[in-house]
Amino acid sequence: MPSTSVPLTPGLASFLRSLKTNPIDTSIDNLISLLKRRQIRHSRSCATATAYLLLRVISACRTTDATKLIERVQSVGRRLVAAQPKEMVVGNIVRRVLGLIRDEAEDDREADFNLSEAGSESQPQTPRALDDPSEALSGRFEGSDRGSSRPPLSQPAPISMFSLLSHPEPESSLPGTPASASPSGRLLGHVQSKDIRAEVLEGVNEIIDELGQVDDQIAAYALDHIHSNEIILTHTSSTTVQKFLLKAAAKRKFTVIHAEAYPNNHEATHATVSGNSAGDDEILSTESFQKPLIALGITVILIPDSAVFALMSRVNKVILGTHSVLANGGLVASAGTRVIARAAKVHHTPVVVVSGVYKLSPVYPFDFDSLIEYGDVSNVIGYEDGDLVDQIDVQNPLYDYVPAELIDLYITNLGGHAPSYLYRIVSDHYRKEDISF
Amino acid sequence: MANPIDPAQTSPSSTSPPPAPATQQSTPDMSSQQPSSQPPQPSNGASKPAKPPKQPKSKDAPPAAGGAPGEEKLSPAELKKKAKAEKAARRAKERAEREASGGAGPGPNAAPPKKGSIGSGAGGKEAPGQPYKGQRHRRGSGTQPSATEQKKKQEDKNVAVFGHLYGQPRRTTIAGAGKEVHPAVLALGLQMRDYVVCGSSARCVATLLAFKRVIEAYTTPLGTSLSRHLTTHLSHQITYLSTCRPLSISQGNAIRALKLAISSIDPSVPEASAKATLSDFIDNFIREKITVADQVIATSAAEKIQDGDVIVTFAGSSIVKQTLLTAYKQGKKFRVSIIDSRPLFEGKSLARTLANAGLEVQYSLVNGISHAIKDATKVFLGAHAMTSNGRLYSRVGTALVAMSAKERAGGVEVPVIVCCETVKFTDRVALDSIVVNEIADADELVPSQPLKQVTGLPDLTDEADAKKGDSKKGGNKAAANAPPAESTPLPEGSSPLANWKETPNLQLLNIMYDVTPAEYVDMVVTEMGSLPPSAVPIVHRMSTNL
Repeated sequence: MPSTSVPLTPGLASFLRSLKTNPIDTSIDNLISLLKRRQIRHSRSCATATAYLLLRVISACRTTDATKLIERVQSVGRRLVAAQPKEMVVGNIVRRVLGLIRDEAEDDREADFNLSEAGSESQPQTPRALDDPSEALSGRFEGSDRGSSRPPLSQPAPISMFSLLSHPEPESSLPGTPASASPSGRLLGHVQSKDIRAEVLEGVNEIIDELGQVDDQIAAYALDHIHSNEIILTHTSSTTVQKFLLKAAAKRKFTVIHAEAYPNNHEATHATVSGNSAGDDEILSTESFQKPLIALGITVILIPDSAVFALMSRVNKVILGTHSVLANGGLVASAGTRVIARAAKVHHTPVVVVSGVYKLSPVYPFDFDSLIEYGDVSNVIGYEDGDLVDQIDVQNPLYDYVPAELIDLYITNLGGHAPSYLYRIVSDHYRKEDISF
Repeated sequence: MANPIDPAQTSPSSTSPPPAPATQQSTPDMSSQQPSSQPPQPSNGASKPAKPPKQPKSKDAPPAAGGAPGEEKLSPAELKKKAKAEKAARRAKERAEREASGGAGPGPNAAPPKKGSIGSGAGGKEAPGQPYKGQRHRRGSGTQPSATEQKKKQEDKNVAVFGHLYGQPRRTTIAGAGKEVHPAVLALGLQMRDYVVCGSSARCVATLLAFKRVIEAYTTPLGTSLSRHLTTHLSHQITYLSTCRPLSISQGNAIRALKLAISSIDPSVPEASAKATLSDFIDNFIREKITVADQVIATSAAEKIQDGDVIVTFAGSSIVKQTLLTAYKQGKKFRVSIIDSRPLFEGKSLARTLANAGLEVQYSLVNGISHAIKDATKVFLGAHAMTSNGRLYSRVGTALVAMSAKERAGGVEVPVIVCCETVKFTDRVALDSIVVNEIADADELVPSQPLKQVTGLPDLTDEADAKKGDSKKGGNKAAANAPPAESTPLPEGSSPLANWKETPNLQLLNIMYDVTPAEYVDMVVTEMGSLPPSAVPIVHRMSTNL
C-alpha cells in the first residue's frame, strides 16, 4: 500500500522517478512547480532535487563549450531560484555546479594553454579577467592564475580547495595525484578535445553523494561535543540533529529536552520523539528509518516551546538544526529558534548548530524579512475558530533569522567552526562570479 | 533518610486532626496505589467494611471507574495472581503495622510530606482532620509491593528535575470530597481543574464568592465558637480546592485575609451578625483588591498607551484585556499583537474579545515571538504573582516574551509593563522556574485530534484508495474515504504521542508557570501606583500590614 501511494503524491520521490522518463524541460517545469507549491520542502530534499535535475540538464546539454554549459545551468538555476527564493539551498547547489563547470573549464583551458597556447578560449577568458581583482582580494588562488606567470603551480588550488574534505577525488578520471604531479599528470592525461561534461557530471554525482552522507559525516563529530550526563535541548525534528544525538547516544548517556516546534513541525517532532510515525511525512518516507533516541536509553523530555526559558537554566547545551546558514554566520531556522538561542545566550548555555555545508549560503542578509517565509495560518487557528480569522490578523512565520552572535559553534561535515569563520568556507565552496548568477 | 522519625509521620494512625504534612504525604501514596489496589477491593470488601467510604477518595477516576468492570472478566489465572498479591499485601501490611508499633515510622515515605505543601500553597497548611486517615494509611502500606512498582513506573514519567512538584494528580471527580465540602466549592473545584475558571484573579474571586456561600450556609456546631470552628470548616473546602488544582498566590492571600478576619471576630458576637460581617468582608475584599484595583490599574496602564503603539501581550490576562479595552475606549489608536501558547490557548479568547470590541489584533504563537516583537513598542504582561525579589511569576512563556522585548537585535529595548494587583504579591522568592512551579497533566500536551484538513489536498491514502477505486470503476468517494484508517500505521485520530505513558524513556512536561527575571520588567502597574519590580516587597508589606 505505501509503495503505491508514494509516487502519487507530488514530492521528491515522484520527481526523482519522473526525472528519468520525462523530457528535460518538463522536468524543469515540474520541479519549479513543485518548489512553488512547496511540495518539495526541507533543505535536503530541495538540494537533492536540484542536484539531480542539474545532472540531467548537463547530460542533456549537447555541447562541449563550457560557456554554453554555464549559461544553460545559469538559466535553469535562475528559474529554480526564482521559483522559491527562500529555499537557499537550491541556489547553493546551482552555484556549486557552476563552480564545478568553471573549474573543469579552467582545467581544460589550462591544459590547452600548456599544450598549444591556443587562443581559442579568448571568449570565455574575457569575463574571467573582469573577476580577477576581486578574486585576488578574496584570497582565492585560482583567481590570480590568469595573470600569474606560473599557471601550472597555482592550478591545482581551486580543485583541492573545493574538494577540501567533501570531495576527495573530483579529478579521479585524471591519472596522477593532482597536488604533487599536476603538471605532468595533467599533460599526460588530458585529451584536448575531452568533453568536460563527463567530469562535471562526476562532480555533480559527488555533490549528490555528499547530500546523502552529510548527516553521518556530521554525526561523526558528535562524541567530541557531547559529554556524559549532559542535558541537551533541541528543537524541531531535524534529522541531522537526530543522527548527531543518536551517534552520541551509542556511547554516552545524556538527557534530551525536545521543544516541539508547535504549529508547523510538532507532528513530525512527536513522531521523532516517540519513534512511531503517524504521519507519512516525506522526510520519513525518503529517509531510512531510524531508531528514536528513547530506544537507546536516552531520556527524552518533550516540552512545549513556551517552557524553553523555564528549563534553560538546567540545560548544558542547545543543539539546533537549521534551514540555511548565511555567510555572516547567522542562520535561517524554523520559527522559534531565535528565542531559544536567545534564552540560551541569557543563560550562558552554548548553542551548537549542526548543518551540512550545502546549507551554507553566500547570501548576506541586509533585509532579514525577505528571508522569512510565512506558513499556513490554519495551523495556528483551526477551522473551528474560523470566525476569528476574519477579524484578526493571524501570523505563522515558518522561519526565524538568528543572528550570528547567538551561535557559539557550527558543526558541518567539515568539522566545527566559529560563526565568524563561515565566510571562509563560503569562499571555498562558491566562486565569486557565481554568487549572483 | 533525611528525617527518620518525624512526629508527623507516626501520628496519622492516632487521633483526630493530624498535622498537614502527614495528610499531604499519604495522598500521593494513595493515588499511585489506587489503580493496583482497586480490583481486589470488591471481592474482600465485606471483610473490610471501612473501605467503601475511602475508595472514592481516589484522585484517579479512570482506574476507579475501570476497576469494577475489569473485575468481572478475570480469568482464573488472574484471580490466582490476585489472591497471591493480596496475601503478600496482607503480610506486608502486618509487617508494616508491627514496624509502626515498634516506633519505626514508614521510612521510605519520609521525603514526600513537603511535596504536597509546596504544590498546594497556602491552603495546604490548613489541612483538616481526616477521619479515615489512619486506615487509609494502613491500607497504603498494605499494597506496598505493587505500589512501589506502580510508583516506579509513575516516576519514570516524571521529569527528574521537577520531581518535587509531582504531588498528587489533580482530582478528577467530586467523589470522596467529604461531606463538609459545600456544593458551590465542589463545582468551583472542578471548574478550576478544567480551566473554566482560570487566571489568578478569577480564581481568587470565585473562591471568595464560593466561601461566601459556605459561610452563609454555615451554622456553628454546639460547644464551639464561630471564630474557632469556621476556620477548620473552611479548611475542608480549601483542601478540596487544592486537590483540584494547587491554589494560586492570590487565592492564598485572600484566604489568609479571610481567616484573619474570622479569627478576629469576637466569640460573643451572635452568629448571624458575625456571618454578615464576614460576607461584607468578602465583598469588600473583592471590591477593593480586585474589582476597583483592576479599574485603577487599567486606567493608569491605559495612560501608557499612545497613538500608534503596537502592544504585544502574552496569553490571556484579564487585566491586560481590561487595560487595552480602556485605552481603546479612550479613543487611542493602537495595534495589539497577541502571542499564545500551547496547550491552553488563552490568547484566543482575548483575541476574540478585543477583535469584537473593534481593536486591530494580530495573533501568533510562541514560534512567532521574534516576529511579533519586531515592530512592538510596548509589552503588557499579566501576572500570576510577583515574588519578593521582583520577579514575575506568570504563565509559562512570559519570560520568552519579556526577554525578546529586552534583547531585540540592534533595536531599542521595548518597555515591558506588568499589570498586577497587589493581592498577587507574595513574600516568597524565586530564582528559577523549577523550584516553584505547577505541573499540569502532561496529557494535555497530547493532541487529542490531529488537525484534519477540511479542504485542500485529500489525505494521501484517501487519494490512493480513490485511485484504486477509479481504476476498478467502483469509484465511490464515500467508500474510498472509509478504509484509510487501516492503512496508516497508527489508527486515524491518534497522535504519535497517544501512548507515551507506555513508551519507555519518553517524558512529557507541562509546566504552568515560569519566572521572568526582574531586569526584564520595567514597571509594575498596581492599584497603589506604578513601581519598579524592586518595590514589590515593600508594597507587599504595606498592603498586608494594613
